[in-house]
Amino acid sequence: MSYISVQGLCKHFDVRQKREKGSLLRKKERVQALQDVSFDVEQGELVGYIGPNGAGKSTTVKILSGIMVPDSGVVSVGGLTPWENRKEHVRRIGVVFGQRMQLWWDVPIADSYDLLKDIYRIPDSEYRQRLDELTEALDLGGIIRTPLRQLSLGQRMRAELCGSLLHRPELLFLDEPTIGLDAVSKLALRDFLKWENREHGTTIMLTTHDMEDIAALCSRVMVLGHGRKLYDGDLSELLGRFDRLRTLSATYDRAPEVPELPGAERVDLEGETLKITYSTDKMEIGTLLPLLQKAGGIREMTVQPQNIDHLIAAMYQEMGL
Amino acid sequence: MNAYYAIFRLRRRLETQYRGAALGGLICQVFFGLILIALYRALYAGRPQDMPLGHVVTYVWINQAFFRMVLSSDPELLDKIRTGGIAYDMCRPVSLYGFYYARLMAQKIMGTFLRGAPMIVIAALLPKGWGISLPASLPGFLWAAAAMLLGLLCVCAMENITMGFTMRTLDSRGMQAMLNLLMMLLTGNVLPLTLYPDSWQPVITALPYAQMLDAPIRLYTGIYAPETAWLILLRQAAWVAVLVCAGSLMWRANQRRLVIQGG
Repeated sequence: MSYISVQGLCKHFDVRQKREKGSLLRKKERVQALQDVSFDVEQGELVGYIGPNGAGKSTTVKILSGIMVPDSGVVSVGGLTPWENRKEHVRRIGVVFGQRMQLWWDVPIADSYDLLKDIYRIPDSEYRQRLDELTEALDLGGIIRTPLRQLSLGQRMRAELCGSLLHRPELLFLDEPTIGLDAVSKLALRDFLKWENREHGTTIMLTTHDMEDIAALCSRVMVLGHGRKLYDGDLSELLGRFDRLRTLSATYDRAPEVPELPGAERVDLEGETLKITYSTDKMEIGTLLPLLQKAGGIREMTVQPQNIDHLIAAMYQEMGL
Repeated sequence: MNAYYAIFRLRRRLETQYRGAALGGLICQVFFGLILIALYRALYAGRPQDMPLGHVVTYVWINQAFFRMVLSSDPELLDKIRTGGIAYDMCRPVSLYGFYYARLMAQKIMGTFLRGAPMIVIAALLPKGWGISLPASLPGFLWAAAAMLLGLLCVCAMENITMGFTMRTLDSRGMQAMLNLLMMLLTGNVLPLTLYPDSWQPVITALPYAQMLDAPIRLYTGIYAPETAWLILLRQAAWVAVLVCAGSLMWRANQRRLVIQGG
């Protein structure tokens, strides 16, 4: 059996509505957060879990981490049912909720770590070694004696991540870990996650809205929408399905005549630069190039694929999300 | 180190950081104590009661000194429940009930110590008729100290039940306002339980609230004789057992139906 095995997972919430005028009862609306979701994850995999807001990503993470009980479905993580064997289960997992805090606000982060050491009963020598390793990998050396409240968001996220990994979890859930981080912090965090995965074989499940995170980290991606699993597989293959639009920019010696380009989605002339947006299924670069060369001497040319966020937006749209 | 002891230590240390709050609490409680005693003195001047005035004054001071033990909640904990920060604590290989119990206990012990110790000193220095009296006897004092410990366990168990309700309603204010009222009335904070009518006494002293502060105070002032003190402690222990069982059952049920909201 796979390391994580999820079969037919369902979960609904009752959301209370505001009382309507003239009615005494408040209506409850039933929201199906997860509808028959099934998947398997092998040990050591790095899986991205994406979907628009409200798709059911966090609900899945909460169920898999043992803090929420589903309506129905069978879940096994390393042979245990998370919500049935909560204590044994959580000992082996680490969780980072990007929008919440586990470290104590008013005390130095080292003290929060000491508490975690006692909670997970990590032996002294192992704890020292792991803390040194994480301090170095996450560059926490300068701030370990600083209270959490004095850290920047990026520092805080690194500190939180360290806290979730002290007990060497074999499975790590990351719920939007790069939310609000600057570019440098994001890159550092991604490098670290790759390192942790490679070095210790930690299985990582990542939910995020940042497609760069997914592209940088995950070879496998699952797409969730309206509580259903819509895609499970290779990221490049998924993108390939929707990745048709290209933008070609050609800069001429002097402003060219705009050529007739049948099949192009859009043609703009900005000074000496001609920008053409086309779809690969309607137009090929081989037929496009000669037409462009006729218009004048080309000094510089780039072809760009669509921004990954646009791709995902197009994909969500096509999937009816 | 045991996880529960570890969180106890960290929370206790954190409490010592809030020295300003402790000083404010001390001043406030001394002020309240003086006003209440002035009121009782006026009452006794007009219409003396069965209970000696010295007992009432002592009752008031002990009540004020241990105010923090009975009437306080951990705002951080309530916030965790309200905003979903509790999710992290649910991912720990510990009993959530025990974990929070230890945390509350640390806050109550340290918070009470910081306010109560100087207050007892102040109350002991006040002139006769205004200040706290010595315990009725040495055994009485020792029994009272033991009873105070059981009282603390009782308070923490009750507080955990309040939090259990908060987990259901997600807003602590309504439930807390109600439970605090019961707490203030029935622990003897508003009016010493010894001043309630005699016919009420059997009922009022049997309630869990009377086990928190009233029982230790009565042992201290000698209203409960040291010879039968073990019966009082037995009653306290029984209530601790009942409240802890009720609380942990409630928490277990809560954990199964809890929804961490907000993504």
